[in-house]
Amino acid sequence: MSIMKAPENTPVWVDESRCKACDICVSVCPAGVLAMRLEATSTLGAMIEIIAPESCIGCNDCELNCPDFAIFVSDKSEFKFSKLSDQAKERQVAIKENKYMKLSA
Amino acid sequence: MAFNYDQYLRLEKMPTLWCWGCGDGVILKAVIRAIEACGWKQDDVCVVSGIGCSGRFSSYVDFNTVHTTHGRTIAFATGIQLMHPDKHIICVAGDGDAMAIGGNHTIHGCRRNINIKFIMINNFIYGLTNSQTSPTTPQGMWTVTQKSGNIDPTFDACNVAIASGASFVARETMLDPKKLEKVLIKGFQHRGFAFFDILSNCHINLGRKNKMASAMENLEWIDSITIPLKKYEALSPEEQLNKMPTGVLKHDDTAREYSDMYYQEVIGYHQGKRKVITQDDFTKKI
Repeated sequence: MSIMKAPENTPVWVDESRCKACDICVSVCPAGVLAMRLEATSTLGAMIEIIAPESCIGCNDCELNCPDFAIFVSDKSEFKFSKLSDQAKERQVAIKENKYMKLSA
Repeated sequence: MAFNYDQYLRLEKMPTLWCWGCGDGVILKAVIRAIEACGWKQDDVCVVSGIGCSGRFSSYVDFNTVHTTHGRTIAFATGIQLMHPDKHIICVAGDGDAMAIGGNHTIHGCRRNINIKFIMINNFIYGLTNSQTSPTTPQGMWTVTQKSGNIDPTFDACNVAIASGASFVARETMLDPKKLEKVLIKGFQHRGFAFFDILSNCHINLGRKNKMASAMENLEWIDSITIPLKKYEALSPEEQLNKMPTGVLKHDDTAREYSDMYYQEVIGYHQGKRKVITQDDFTKKI
């Protein structure tokens, strides 16, 4: 089985040349790790951004649900993932309510 | 675990031409994972696709591929399978491709129970040509050919396949890629005609005018109309009306595969290994 090697100390990474900004990965993430930022050069005017890598639980849902081969999650042997916290859940709800866009600090 | 799909893709064609959030990409990934799980070599797999958004399928994967005419995937695949009975043929068609113009071929592929894995990507509309009514469009939906709302009764593709004699019939959605992969593996390992009705989204051409303009809204709607088979059977007939059962709906291991039968019986007769085939052979199930 061919497995991609993760960049060092990275739970989740994106190939931005393939991403079409469809919001699916942001909607399936349980921990509010992902959100969209404004991007003038993208067709839909947005691009995926990893806003909270430390909250990633390694569930792999974003990778499985991405239609464009653009997002990857590292293996449990390559990165120590955290547990799902209440703070992460709240952030996910807030991002969904913000139409999947990044929350302004 | 970052699965590396690059080995199976024609990277010069990336990114795909499909719209953002299109389910075809998720299904493509699940098919690649299922092929890898089955341990098939790339040279032993042939992907045949027809016309439509699903027709792009064969352009992106690095197997032996054929991009055929509208609705004729099974006609081409039958020829390939008879010539190479030990190879794995995967057909990919859309709902218009498989049920409308190619409906006839689909029925006869099922009837022969030939070893073809037939993946029907069902997005309930003719997506590529901009929202015309397809055989699977639900009643009451806006389409460009029926702007008052669709009045055509809806085709249940799985029931058509079961009635036509396919030996493996399953329905899945692209909402749960892991489950989809498991069902694909089960069907791929089955020898005989495997029919998959995979529900997918088309938020651009179906959703735009039907109050689900984003991929997520369309996926939520698909989630609301599907229900696992076990739960479906427990429902009353009124509750079953607008629901679609998902999972393996038929799995018959005893049905004989067409190319096996052809090579053993017909070629066997011409080589003098057996007498002429009679009706009695079929009452005994040759």
